[in-house]
Amino acid sequence: METYVMLEIGLALCIVGAAGLLAARFRFSIVPFLILAGMAVGPQAPVIGVFDFRFIESTPLIQFMGRLGVLFLLFYLGLEFSVGRLLKAGKSIFLGGTTYMLINFSLGMALPYLWGWPLREILVVAGIISISSSAIVAKVLVDLKRTVRAETEMILGLMLYQDVFVAVYLSIVSGLVLTGATSSTTVLKTSVIALGFMLSFILVGRKLAPRINKLLNVPSDEIFMLIVFGILTLVAGLSETIHVAEAIGALLVGLVLAETDHLERIEHIVVPFRDFFGALFFFSFGLSIDPFSLGGAIWPALIAVIVTIIGNFVAGLIAGRKAGYSYQGATNIGLTITSRGEFSIILANLAKAGGLLSILQPFAALYVLLLAILGPLLTKESKWIYSKLAGVFGWPSIKDKKQRRRAEAKG
Amino acid sequence: MSLIKETDLPGIGRKFQVNTRSGDKLVIVIHDDGRREIHHFDYDDPEESISMVTLDDNEARRVSGIIGGMAYLPKALESVEVAFDNMVFEWYKVESGAKAIGKTIVELQIRKKTGAMIIAIIKKDEKIINPGPNQVIAEGATLVVIGERKQVKACKELLLNGSL
Repeated sequence: METYVMLEIGLALCIVGAAGLLAARFRFSIVPFLILAGMAVGPQAPVIGVFDFRFIESTPLIQFMGRLGVLFLLFYLGLEFSVGRLLKAGKSIFLGGTTYMLINFSLGMALPYLWGWPLREILVVAGIISISSSAIVAKVLVDLKRTVRAETEMILGLMLYQDVFVAVYLSIVSGLVLTGATSSTTVLKTSVIALGFMLSFILVGRKLAPRINKLLNVPSDEIFMLIVFGILTLVAGLSETIHVAEAIGALLVGLVLAETDHLERIEHIVVPFRDFFGALFFFSFGLSIDPFSLGGAIWPALIAVIVTIIGNFVAGLIAGRKAGYSYQGATNIGLTITSRGEFSIILANLAKAGGLLSILQPFAALYVLLLAILGPLLTKESKWIYSKLAGVFGWPSIKDKKQRRRAEAKG
Repeated sequence: MSLIKETDLPGIGRKFQVNTRSGDKLVIVIHDDGRREIHHFDYDDPEESISMVTLDDNEARRVSGIIGGMAYLPKALESVEVAFDNMVFEWYKVESGAKAIGKTIVELQIRKKTGAMIIAIIKKDEKIINPGPNQVIAEGATLVVIGERKQVKACKELLLNGSL
């Protein structure tokens, strides 16, 4: 049987494109469609004529392109992130973010602990459950025209807070998982190495900023792009050699290059790559999931989804009210941050690479799938949900406010 | 001037909130991809946007020109200005009695004396883009002047009084 790799890749890309079209038709986030498309094909799929839907030859290639997707996603995140912004977001974000993390991270630890999963799995699951998808959240806010609302500032601030959390958490956990450390001294050592690597990288990067500026001062976009992507891939690969997730390496390169004068030019060049390989990342994650192996993970995933929604809602409500938003605004915060996506998948892939329990893959798949669908839906229907809750908790209802205003206008 | 509040929306763009003197609340969001959203809020309910308009970059520029008075100058005004940091474009109408009427640009030595530059002259029946030095300043024409704020101010003085 001959194999045609190019044909397989072409077929895969067409499936990804079709999933995107479907998502646009339903006016919905593309992420769940891409994962479902990946799950639908794979080893269990049929072969029709020359079209081989099993993707046996090309799976490693698609997986690799997915890895590049992670690099570009995190690289872009690093570019967009700025310490100044974080400081400007200020105290309410710090309080709100800490509240959110305390509630949801401890819930995320409690669940796998109750199920009797081992320690490293507990730590990974806590991350999968507590980290929102900034990509989905930002997109949903724009699509629903929510960008003008006051509480959107807080939501984006929480995303920033989580980005910082992800950087620290991921570097520590990746050290733990990839080295297979078990004794407390090795755990401490890997964490110190990971954090030391991050800090020294940022410091050295700042020192070298003028040099990098000079290096990137090339008029040709082509050469400029080659240099940037070269640095990005090399650093990501190097960080892997010291057991720091390649995603963190990419994030660090983004942080360092954000300090140079070429920030906008880089962002401009990266976006199409991020979108293309990012889509393949979600698709390849779906491809790595065998839909027939999901059975054992259904209950844990469902419980985790329910706990996440409740935990996020409560945390959003507390954070929002503390920061002075109305009950409706606080409800919107709690419902918007429930979307899960890229980070949960990155963690699931990390667990796979570290040889953790095999249930984590289908668990993460179901969990992300459900919350990539439910999160945007909850955000969309937040008004309806609020009006229902207002009746229960005695919050000011939307109608009341309108009537009161009319009365005032008449009076 | 009413208060304009600016807020960063990381990953999305920038938000400008305007509380107008007339008591309306206007929120403009500039998306990083070039779109603009304009929302109108109920004055005493800061939560709910009553209506909104989405403009693409092209439309936004056209609309900003109309609002800024470049397409049609309100009768009550004799000049309109657009500022970018320290650089000012000003649409200045030559009123009757201005000393510069009938003189050419080179006679007035506008560039030499003030540093500002006349980049267009708009009359009722014609538009002269990039007028030459021998262009005569006519009564009732609108001049588009560019320069730093103080240069433009000096240029207007020169046109009005014929000297600085």
